[in-house]
Amino acid sequence: MWNVLVIAKREVSRFRTRFSGGSRALIVAVLVAALAVSFFVAQSGFTLSRGMYAVGVSPDGPAIDDSRFSVFVMSPEAGYSGLQAKTIDAYVNADMVIGRSDSRSQYAQGALKQYLDNRELNRIIEQYDIDRGFPLRIETHYIAVNASQQQPGGSIIDTASIADIIGPIIEPEPDFTGEPTPVPGGVPATPVETTTDPAVRAQLEAAKNGSAGRFKAEMVADNETLIPSLYQPSVPLPQVILAFVYIVPIFFISVFFTSSFMDEKTNRKLNILMSTPVSAFDIIMGKMLPYLVFSVAVIVGVTLFLGGNLLFAIAIFTPVMLFIFAIYLMVALFYRTYKDQTFFSMAAITFVTGYLVFPALFTGMSNLSYISPLTLAVEMYRNVPFGPTGLMAYALSTGPLYLVFAIALFVGVRIFNEEYLMGYGRLHQKLGDAVYLSLNKNHPYVSVGLLSLLLIPVVFVVELIILALVTNLQQIFTMLIVLLFFSALVEEIAKSAGIAALIEYGKAVTARRVLALSFVSALAFWGGEKLLLMASIGFMPASAVLDTLNGASGTAASPLMLVFLLLLPLAGHFVFSTIVCLGTLKLGTRYYIVALLAGTLVHVLYNVYNLRAMGAF
Amino acid sequence: MGTFMAIVDKEIRAVARERTILLAIVIQLIIASLSSVILFGLMSFYDPATIGQNTAVPVKVGVVGDGDSQLINYLQRSRVTTLLYDSADAAQADFVKGSVDAVIYIPPVAAGVSEMKLFLPQSDSKSTVVLMVLQTPLKKYENYLRGLNGVEVRYQDTRGRSSTTYEFLYSFIVPMLMLFPAFIAGSIMIDTLSEEFENKTLDTLLSTPVSMNTMIGAKLAAAELIAVLQCILWSILLSFNRIYIQNVLLVLVLAAIIAAFVAAGSALIALYFKDRERSQFLYSVLLITVASLSYMFNPSPITLMTRLASGDPGVGVVNVLIYLLPLAILMIALFTGTRKLAALKA
Repeated sequence: MWNVLVIAKREVSRFRTRFSGGSRALIVAVLVAALAVSFFVAQSGFTLSRGMYAVGVSPDGPAIDDSRFSVFVMSPEAGYSGLQAKTIDAYVNADMVIGRSDSRSQYAQGALKQYLDNRELNRIIEQYDIDRGFPLRIETHYIAVNASQQQPGGSIIDTASIADIIGPIIEPEPDFTGEPTPVPGGVPATPVETTTDPAVRAQLEAAKNGSAGRFKAEMVADNETLIPSLYQPSVPLPQVILAFVYIVPIFFISVFFTSSFMDEKTNRKLNILMSTPVSAFDIIMGKMLPYLVFSVAVIVGVTLFLGGNLLFAIAIFTPVMLFIFAIYLMVALFYRTYKDQTFFSMAAITFVTGYLVFPALFTGMSNLSYISPLTLAVEMYRNVPFGPTGLMAYALSTGPLYLVFAIALFVGVRIFNEEYLMGYGRLHQKLGDAVYLSLNKNHPYVSVGLLSLLLIPVVFVVELIILALVTNLQQIFTMLIVLLFFSALVEEIAKSAGIAALIEYGKAVTARRVLALSFVSALAFWGGEKLLLMASIGFMPASAVLDTLNGASGTAASPLMLVFLLLLPLAGHFVFSTIVCLGTLKLGTRYYIVALLAGTLVHVLYNVYNLRAMGAF
Repeated sequence: MGTFMAIVDKEIRAVARERTILLAIVIQLIIASLSSVILFGLMSFYDPATIGQNTAVPVKVGVVGDGDSQLINYLQRSRVTTLLYDSADAAQADFVKGSVDAVIYIPPVAAGVSEMKLFLPQSDSKSTVVLMVLQTPLKKYENYLRGLNGVEVRYQDTRGRSSTTYEFLYSFIVPMLMLFPAFIAGSIMIDTLSEEFENKTLDTLLSTPVSMNTMIGAKLAAAELIAVLQCILWSILLSFNRIYIQNVLLVLVLAAIIAAFVAAGSALIALYFKDRERSQFLYSVLLITVASLSYMFNPSPITLMTRLASGDPGVGVVNVLIYLLPLAILMIALFTGTRKLAALKA
């Protein structure tokens, strides 16, 4: 522990000398300028689609104060000819919007409608009292549909009867024609205060402040009054913003960490460190510690700035931070050239951001969103109480992140030798070596099994990214096949990586041993997968997607059937892994990719068969 | 010229050999996919107008109370199935069974305030969908009630398509895909230059008949070429997805100018600092700053990209060529100052 601190201290002083003299002044100046400019632009209202539409307005038309529109005041004649000549996209003649039928003009009219509707709303707010301006109030109640369903936050189910809530049903008068005549002067001169008036006022206030309701729940809460024109479901923007506000500074800091690592690698200073009695763990942790401390400081700072709960924020973002550092540690250890490092870092940023943001977008809509810890942060900022399911959600969302950090640290320590760090091999070679070095050669079975088990979170993350990628494909069928292929490929790599490394180094030469190793690997992967499934089923009743993906349908007729349904995937995993590993043994590791593709192909066929049986094709 | 091409060739080969460029392309693909998933999946979810246009989500609503209400008319027009119930208990029975997705109590219409009650299932996603689908008819009914109260709402007849996707596509996805290559070009410049400094290979290179400016020019050309190729690739891939960039040539020229600007700027940074750590950091920060600063121009490079790509009649060749001026200034500064800058100790 002492050694870690000594190295950390050295790292801090190294960092300080890096940014001393003239360069410090320059960098500080640029940073200040960056902050000032960003602040200024953010203050003056930032729109990406500024001036996107060219809109003509008649002299008696509305003033259009929206930066998306380039507005030209012109007479109706000029407007019509402009529309025809396509020099403008839409024309507002007094109270009427006119356009062409081509898509650009249609979108321009849609955008105008959105703007003008809002403008009308503001006019109504200003000109009329709330009873006339907002005559429709809808009280929302959530009723349990069946007993097994539970509210995301674990709140109490409203079991009240609809009849009780409605009270006496008021029927329309028998002679009522259904079309009341409009009251020219409006409602009676003395408006009566209704029970829903305070709700309208509160929502008007919130609409006026705009940003104040940014972290407000997007769903209407129980017993809340809904006013249609004031009901604005928040777009998933807060999640994205929240992710960036926390993660971007951590990325910047971790870039310094990798740069420092690489610098010392190139200048061979690491060699000197390695020749001293300090352990690899000491060196890695020592070099990482200062940057970890900076990052925690950033988390604290951002939370204080946003007014969040400090304890929760630290609990939520510390694993995220560790996850990012884990990836960057791997980058620093594997890298061969600077370009490598740059691109790996960029890839890491996109992966991590996608992994965090994508599930969190479903916050409050699906419990699947708890895959990402960002969901918890979003809920924290929305003041959703941290219920008993919260702990489970925390474990589920942050568990894989802690695990990835632990794996990275472990692998880092194992491969921390001069030969490996200085070597310049092909990337797959370096990865294979890393896997080989991480395995305990005295206990190959335990090592291979553990590797398969521990790679499950990684496989999970990669599959999620693949899912997002395949949505680009237009055809559902191609999409499904591509998804199945790449998911199978990733799983087969995860299961066979350790065994292939053992074969490469002559630690597994007999078919029998490879067979046994394949079984262990398949067993561990299958076990982990089912464990994850079980944990998530208990937690996510709606995770039908997971069921489908895993091919285990829960409606088994008999216990025997259940055993069969459980063991079939195990047998499958074993067969696929055997194809890959035995193939690698026979053909040699040079042809690992061939064996891998063969195993993947069988895996895909098996999945397609399963899905067919379930009627997916 | 021979040496120049040799260096260009070497740089491109280095990038191709490392396969890093593939990684870069995958990154852009991921960003674009994630963004479009977010958009097409969720915005349509949040944007009821899009739901009405694209998907017919079958929603059944049980109605208790005024069966002649105008709201029922609006609901049906939004393709919501309505079922009339005599009593709340009957409605609840069907609701619990799941044969209706929501129950709504409509009091008889009267001037003044109308207080309805809406019952939604306590499931995490179903009620969100129902609420989204109900939003448009409820807003129409609200305007109808306003009319009864003597409040006239204008522009109700405005037609047109929901522009959210369109705006997002052309103001985010397209500029992102066209500008990310520029970002990569800058990164490549910093990496390749600082590598020469840190590995002390620059002296060796300069001892041959290669001048400093040839070397930098060649590296710039290589980075620029890679960037332009990526932009062309994106415009082709986008058209496969039936997203068409208007004024495609002008868009590519603009992207090329920006890539050259960023690459030249990053060359200046790398020449001054001579190490990757500080150069990359300053480059990232400066890039954000310059991008923010450019927003103060109208049209800014990014919005110009948006407007060109979406076919705005108001922008054209002149708007693009203006940006050659700052590029020329930066290039002159770079090529007249290389030796001095390289000699400076940062």
